[in-house]
Amino acid sequence: MLHEIPVSRYGPTGPRMARAVEACVHCGFCLPACPTYRVLGEEMDSPRGRIFLMKEVLEGRLHASEAAPFVDRCLGCLGCVTACPSGVAYGELLTPYREYAAGAVRRPLLDRWLRRLFLETLPYPRRLRAAVRLARLIQPFSQRFPARLRPVLGLLPRRLPAAPRPARVVLPQGPRRARVAVLAGCVQQVLWPSIHAATVRVLARNGVEVTVPPGQGCCGALAMHSGEGARARALARRNLRAFAEDVDAVVTDAAGCGSAMKEYGLLFAGRPEEAPARALSAKVRDVSEFLHQLGVQPPPPLAVATRAVYHDPCHLLHAQGVREAPRRLLGLVGNLEVVEPPEAELCCGSAGTYNLEHPEVAAELGRRKVRALLATEPDLVVTGNVGCMVQIAAHLWAAGRPVPVLHTVELLDLAYRGQPVPRLT
Amino acid sequence: MDAAQVVAGLRAIYPAHRVLARPAELAPYESDALTAFRARPAAVVLPENREEVVATVRWCHRYGVPFVARGSGTSLSGGSLPVPGGVVIALNRLNRILRLDPEERIAVVEPGVVNLEVSKAAAPFGLYYAPDPSSQPVCTIGGNVAFNSGGAHCLKYGMTSNHVLALEAVLPDGEVVRFGGESLEEVGPDLVGLFVGSEGLFGIALEVTLRLVPKPEAYRTVLAAYRSLEAAGEAVAQVVASGLLPGAVEIMDRLSIEAAEAAVHAGYPSDAAALLIVELEGEEPEVEAELEELLRVVRASGAYEVRLARDEAERQKIWKGRKSAFSAVGRLSPDYLVQDGVVPRTRLGTALAEIERLSREYGLRVANVFHAGDGNLHPLILYDGRKPGELQRAEELAGEILRLCIRLGGSITGEHGVGVEKRQYLAEMFGPRDLEVMRRLRQVMDPLEIANRGKMFPAAREPEPAGVR
Amino acid sequence: MVRPADVTALQELVREYPCVWPRGGGTKTGLRPPEGAVVVELSGLRGVVEYDPGEFTFTALAGTPVREVEKLLAEHGQYLPFEPPLAAAGATLGGTLASGLSGPGRYRYGGVRDFVLGVRFVDAEGHVVRSGGKVVKNAAGFDLAKLFVGSLGQLGVVVEVSFKVFPAPQAHATLRVEHRRFEEAWEVLRALYASSFDLEALDLVPPGTLWVRVAGRGQSLGARLERLRAFLQGRGEVVEDDAALWEQAREFRWVPAGWALVKVPLTPRRVVALEQELAPTDSLRRYSAGGNVGWVAWPGSPAALSEVLQRLELRGLQVLGGGGPAYLGVRGPEPFAARVKRALDPVGRFGGSF
Repeated sequence: MLHEIPVSRYGPTGPRMARAVEACVHCGFCLPACPTYRVLGEEMDSPRGRIFLMKEVLEGRLHASEAAPFVDRCLGCLGCVTACPSGVAYGELLTPYREYAAGAVRRPLLDRWLRRLFLETLPYPRRLRAAVRLARLIQPFSQRFPARLRPVLGLLPRRLPAAPRPARVVLPQGPRRARVAVLAGCVQQVLWPSIHAATVRVLARNGVEVTVPPGQGCCGALAMHSGEGARARALARRNLRAFAEDVDAVVTDAAGCGSAMKEYGLLFAGRPEEAPARALSAKVRDVSEFLHQLGVQPPPPLAVATRAVYHDPCHLLHAQGVREAPRRLLGLVGNLEVVEPPEAELCCGSAGTYNLEHPEVAAELGRRKVRALLATEPDLVVTGNVGCMVQIAAHLWAAGRPVPVLHTVELLDLAYRGQPVPRLT
Repeated sequence: MDAAQVVAGLRAIYPAHRVLARPAELAPYESDALTAFRARPAAVVLPENREEVVATVRWCHRYGVPFVARGSGTSLSGGSLPVPGGVVIALNRLNRILRLDPEERIAVVEPGVVNLEVSKAAAPFGLYYAPDPSSQPVCTIGGNVAFNSGGAHCLKYGMTSNHVLALEAVLPDGEVVRFGGESLEEVGPDLVGLFVGSEGLFGIALEVTLRLVPKPEAYRTVLAAYRSLEAAGEAVAQVVASGLLPGAVEIMDRLSIEAAEAAVHAGYPSDAAALLIVELEGEEPEVEAELEELLRVVRASGAYEVRLARDEAERQKIWKGRKSAFSAVGRLSPDYLVQDGVVPRTRLGTALAEIERLSREYGLRVANVFHAGDGNLHPLILYDGRKPGELQRAEELAGEILRLCIRLGGSITGEHGVGVEKRQYLAEMFGPRDLEVMRRLRQVMDPLEIANRGKMFPAAREPEPAGVR
Repeated sequence: MVRPADVTALQELVREYPCVWPRGGGTKTGLRPPEGAVVVELSGLRGVVEYDPGEFTFTALAGTPVREVEKLLAEHGQYLPFEPPLAAAGATLGGTLASGLSGPGRYRYGGVRDFVLGVRFVDAEGHVVRSGGKVVKNAAGFDLAKLFVGSLGQLGVVVEVSFKVFPAPQAHATLRVEHRRFEEAWEVLRALYASSFDLEALDLVPPGTLWVRVAGRGQSLGARLERLRAFLQGRGEVVEDDAALWEQAREFRWVPAGWALVKVPLTPRRVVALEQELAPTDSLRRYSAGGNVGWVAWPGSPAALSEVLQRLELRGLQVLGGGGPAYLGVRGPEPFAARVKRALDPVGRFGGSF
């Protein structure tokens, strides 16, 4: 598409944003792939429309605050990238644009305060744990609180799992085939620590030496995708230092984190840390990606025939392009039937803090996703991202069908250990 | 009436959030897939049922406000380009399939239903909706009706017009009419045939009865690579002369192969100057017999590589590349114009050679993708609008290609319609009396000329392209 | 009756007389000129104007007999799949278009409306107007060529038509499947309608005879017939003279002399209701195109038939004459058609109303 974006005004990411706009030919193939277009049915809430709006803002024809409601509603799921025949790198427009717009748009006080709360709490496990406990206390009184806060309270887990003590180094079983550093994650450590434990065990079982570098922290995804560039870079720098050691791969088991770390090159574009950031990005692999590439020993079959429906996290399928790996891995497990849900390409509505900031759309998407998953009559839901797991579990509960939700590595781990798979009774 | 009054008037029909009036809300509706043109409407409305559509049209008629109906905005001829200061009636929320009767093989749908969704709904019954424009995952039936959309598979079974049985429409002066019927046969003039392809000038379809057909038992899809475009064109003539009636015959040239390959990695033979796709469809024994003949003809035609899709997945991959070709060309150039001329099939070679010559003369690259089976060309003229004068040169080149089509006895549009883009050429294809009769028909349906004003018919003044301001 | 020698003469006639009515081969005896109209006989406007077999299209003057065109096409291995009816009786291209009639072969690829590409016609003011084109794909301008299909000469006098054609099949074969009761035959028709068999024609003659025609390449025809018979549970015998059989059908030779023949657009489900009503009468019926059209032969004036059609909310066209109006059955107001008429023939030069 033609544009008049004064590229030099936008720093090192200017050319990347402009290139994305240029590649767009306004064909509209992205519309059916966009969850917000499917739910909201208006052009402003479609990738094609958002690209146009962002272009208008960057050209100075619209003020960022006018486009804000629509750009904010973008999930960042990158489903449009998968669907786009022209190769528009939508993520390379959205993320830098949001950073630019964050400075230009004045949001309502409650929104700013909530966002601050999330950014100061979620990336820090100790603070998050405390916050969750506090939130559980006030949950019975949630009706007294602003409507904006209630969905947050609604997503809280019933029981907070025990705080884990992740080991620093785990030696492989058998001869060492590879050595990796693992991102422990932030929200995941508090809400679903069993994932990390399973990741480490499955890697070790397949001859991989695992290190969990100290000094690491949140990957910065939340900040990055909210346009808080400086905060995201601060968090990322910590990881650049923590993951500096040479390993065969930097492994993540949360799709959102993997996708954010693979974007570190863009985050530091034109800055002194660009080279090490790109180097780190190049090493990042999702755990399913890594295991599939490495080749794993097939686990023993499950004791009971089980049907699992696989949900593609948007940050794994669209943002990282990882589709086959988890399916192949699950395919190795005997007595496990893996089925595909309808509308597999649609986001579940979690998308970072989206379900906290845009609860209605997120809830609609969550309900829609759960309908699609339940249509396959599964015993289990398997996926590769903690955010999706929280969202899907909450909506399965709301639908009265609390089918167990597992991470891909959790299922592999159970199979390896000959443990029973949780079932709905 | 100024924009504020339009908005106020429409707010009487719709709840406020379904009348879009703020600049950020209107901007995305300013153009469709023909990005060279932009126009700002006074308002966009989002009806959710036919009553609202009718009320809107009646309101527009009462106050003489022009309107444009819009589906998914994928028109390649400016069909959903707004009239400046007018109303855009976005029909995408009227997206219900009202009735699907597998025994009678019909589907009754609202105009905002996406083309591919019809086939998806019919699939469990072994049926599908045959017209398959490349934009079918996005485009709507309403848009297909307005432009008589075609697609790669219309060679054997026809275009949209051959698959619409009945319509309910609101005419531009507000009268709601029904015509056609559920039968494939009819008594009386073919009014449905008149309405389909009328480019919105006769009003808005509210309910469309579509013909569904059984899915063919088998497909055989052949991909052949040639060292020259002429050879591929010649092969088409031979395929057709052999008495075969394929379901689809398509050609892509080097540039479009490059783009499609980059976009979807269909695994096309790299290095081919032209690719020919021929698909047979029908009963298993019949396509097997036809395939023998087809392979014989194709091998004798000088293809240097011939592939047969081994299963449905491979077949889908071949088509994915072809169907993404237009948009994929966006990777090769900041912008492009896609043309839609038709030439008699036997003149394909001549037409392609001439287009190549014109391309050199104008210094602009032209990618070619087309429905070789029916002579429907889609030259994609690549240009960079930032370079001064390049858009204009591209448009001139496009005009030359259209004139070429007329000269060779073809048409200025096979399936994209005239819209805004080609209206000046309508007068080169039809004489003054022909246009007069068409104008009278338009007049009797739309005395105030509020439906898609400024489209299809040549105007006194050239339309304003967006260009670079 | 007047007989113009060429298009210019025709134009003058149209300008001269207040009401004219075109006539081709006069084969559709059920269609009568309006009161006081001058009948313009078009046999002088005859001949193929353009035919390039490589293009699979032809253009011919409206008065050209269908038979002549089909013979020419056959010489080049091509044909009109919709089998214009009454060709042997002398039907012309213009008449076929204006009456909107198709034969049993319309089942496979479509009817006359699906094959017409363009027309030239003389309008109410005597001008020659062109619409559509000569190429198989054309989206420019309004599709008046389709509009003229079934227009019974009430919108203008068609002088030239362009059609697309298909390659003629190598071989044909027909199965005759007998059933004792109509309901059984109809069930089988329905099953075939839903199947993926590519049938050229699918006709049902009450009480229980089903005619199933296939065509295509010679080498696969045998296998296809086998599969078809297997689908029909072994029933169905191959008919001896396939060509003669279908010639009979498209010429309506089964209609007794002097009887009316009415075309009734139907759908498979509506066939049952109509048959139920008509079975006890003296009429003869043939349900063609998989049940999409019913041909009803009625002794004498079809007024009673019209009442039946009206009750069943069906329309009919009297193709072969028994007297009375051409349109039978339901006749409601048709605002869209009325506007079209107003635009093309405001002074009523061509009679009729919508």
